Amino acid sequence: MADIQLPHGTGAPSAKPFNPWPVVIFIILSILAVLFLAPTVGVLFSSIKTTKEIAFGRLWDFPTSVYWGNFADILSNPSVQGYFVNTLLITVPATVISITLGILNGYVFAKLPFRGSGILFLVIISGMFFPPQVILIPLFRLFNGLHLIDTLWSVIFIHIAMGIPICTLLMRNFFATVPNALREAAILEGASEWQVLTKIALPLSLPALAVLVTLQFTWIWNDFLWPLIFIQSDEKRTVMLGIVNLKGQYSVAWGVQGALSLLASLPTLIVFLFFQKYFIKGMTMGAVKG
Amino acid sequence: MEKENRFWQIVFLSLPMAVFVILIIWPLTSSFYYSFTNWNGFNSDYQYVGFDNFIKILTDKLFYQAAINTSIWMVAAIFLPSLFGLVLALLIDSSVPGGSIFKSIFYLPICLSAVVVGQTWVWIYQPDWGLMNTVIGFIAQEKFNYAWLAKPDTALGSVILAWSWQQTGLSMVIYLAGLTSISEDLIEVCEIEGASTWQRIRLVIFPLLTPATVVVIALSVINSLKGFDILYIMTGGGPFNSSDTLAMHMYNESFKKYLMGYGSAISVVLFLIALTIIRIYFKQLKKVDEIYG
Repeated sequence: MADIQLPHGTGAPSAKPFNPWPVVIFIILSILAVLFLAPTVGVLFSSIKTTKEIAFGRLWDFPTSVYWGNFADILSNPSVQGYFVNTLLITVPATVISITLGILNGYVFAKLPFRGSGILFLVIISGMFFPPQVILIPLFRLFNGLHLIDTLWSVIFIHIAMGIPICTLLMRNFFATVPNALREAAILEGASEWQVLTKIALPLSLPALAVLVTLQFTWIWNDFLWPLIFIQSDEKRTVMLGIVNLKGQYSVAWGVQGALSLLASLPTLIVFLFFQKYFIKGMTMGAVKG
Repeated sequence: MEKENRFWQIVFLSLPMAVFVILIIWPLTSSFYYSFTNWNGFNSDYQYVGFDNFIKILTDKLFYQAAINTSIWMVAAIFLPSLFGLVLALLIDSSVPGGSIFKSIFYLPICLSAVVVGQTWVWIYQPDWGLMNTVIGFIAQEKFNYAWLAKPDTALGSVILAWSWQQTGLSMVIYLAGLTSISEDLIEVCEIEGASTWQRIRLVIFPLLTPATVVVIALSVINSLKGFDILYIMTGGGPFNSSDTLAMHMYNESFKKYLMGYGSAISVVLFLIALTIIRIYFKQLKKVDEIYG
């Protein structure tokens, strides 16, 4: 541990009065990091161990050999392939459309305010705060009447609607930072509002779009409640329903469940890593500005 | 110009507002309507039953249990991740080596779904080979076989711990951003004036983190009100309804027992609770705004 202290001792601009602290903090953080990683490591280990090994209590031992059978089982299972296709078919359109609607809303609230638009904006974003259970039953009845129960459409529609508050909020806040003079100049030059939105405001708002893509993709991909209510047949199941369903299919299938959990987490991890820089910035914008 | 604006307002707003009204506002209001009926989810002939469902709530022991659990859940699920996140942020912000690696490790769980997190923690609490019992057994040097999720005393607490594990990274990241906005000069002044580390955190850093705290609490309130998935996966509200929350209770009554009228009444109560919390929150927010501009 001694070598860790070195960079602090050499060339620090102001000599700090307490030198042991960096080492102590480093040790505390390391212990916490190990504790924090344990559950994730558990999933990782379970995916490369046989269910028998796990049942004998060897899940948490460092693996001495890698068993690929779980992944082979999962990837060759046609219903699991279906789960992934379904989830993608829901997540991609719902993400794109909810963000598009948020852009349209956000532009009006930021650049074309009207009498009562402030209140309307508050009503929309307060939708973020309410537990989804409040609208569950009427929606079930509505979709049942439209014969949308047990179709991917029901889940796509509800995610588009549930995404409107957050997308509107973020886009409005971002569009508000686009200078008004820019818009007015473009309008004077004969541009329409549509052109101002697509040619000026949107290209300036790429960081906000990155945040929304990450948020919406992660939220919709990971969602469990709406598919649980609306989807009934196995062919229409999403990945998250599939993980739960595996428990029923095999009596104990810890290894297979671990492998599927790992695969199911990859898309959101990839999206997050891809947009990470913007995402953390965007999420914390409010925290800095107040 | 005025006319032109009106045209674009209508063009831009009509589609999003139509979706929002049909799929959010209308269901929200009709929840109130269904709460006065005995609809069972399938039949189209159902009766208006007045306040029967609400009277039933008052005598429903499971409802009280769920209401108490919801309060415990909300307080713990808001307080614990915020506190852990603040502590981690302060530790990482002390220019510790490897800070960005620590940040990623603590943030990772946020990307995982409630289903994956729930299932992973079921394995941690597994009586025979779970990590919890393995570690306790190792320390105590004897076999430990406690079923954390199957005992009414520990079920809810165990889920809260799993939830805190997942949510801590979010508040940490927000607090870290808040910390970077505090000027170095101010901290230096504290050191020159001889303030202890604890005094510095309590009297200078924490008050300056108020905007970050506002965001953290808002996100925690939003997320914890929705804390259904992880409970469904880990305990399903059991054992003996010991980890039942209002959201869980509403789901069971509506989609297990098909008492959709009664379920609607519970969801109306849930709505009113959410409304109250949000109003309190916005009131506090206004106070903070007045102080911090």
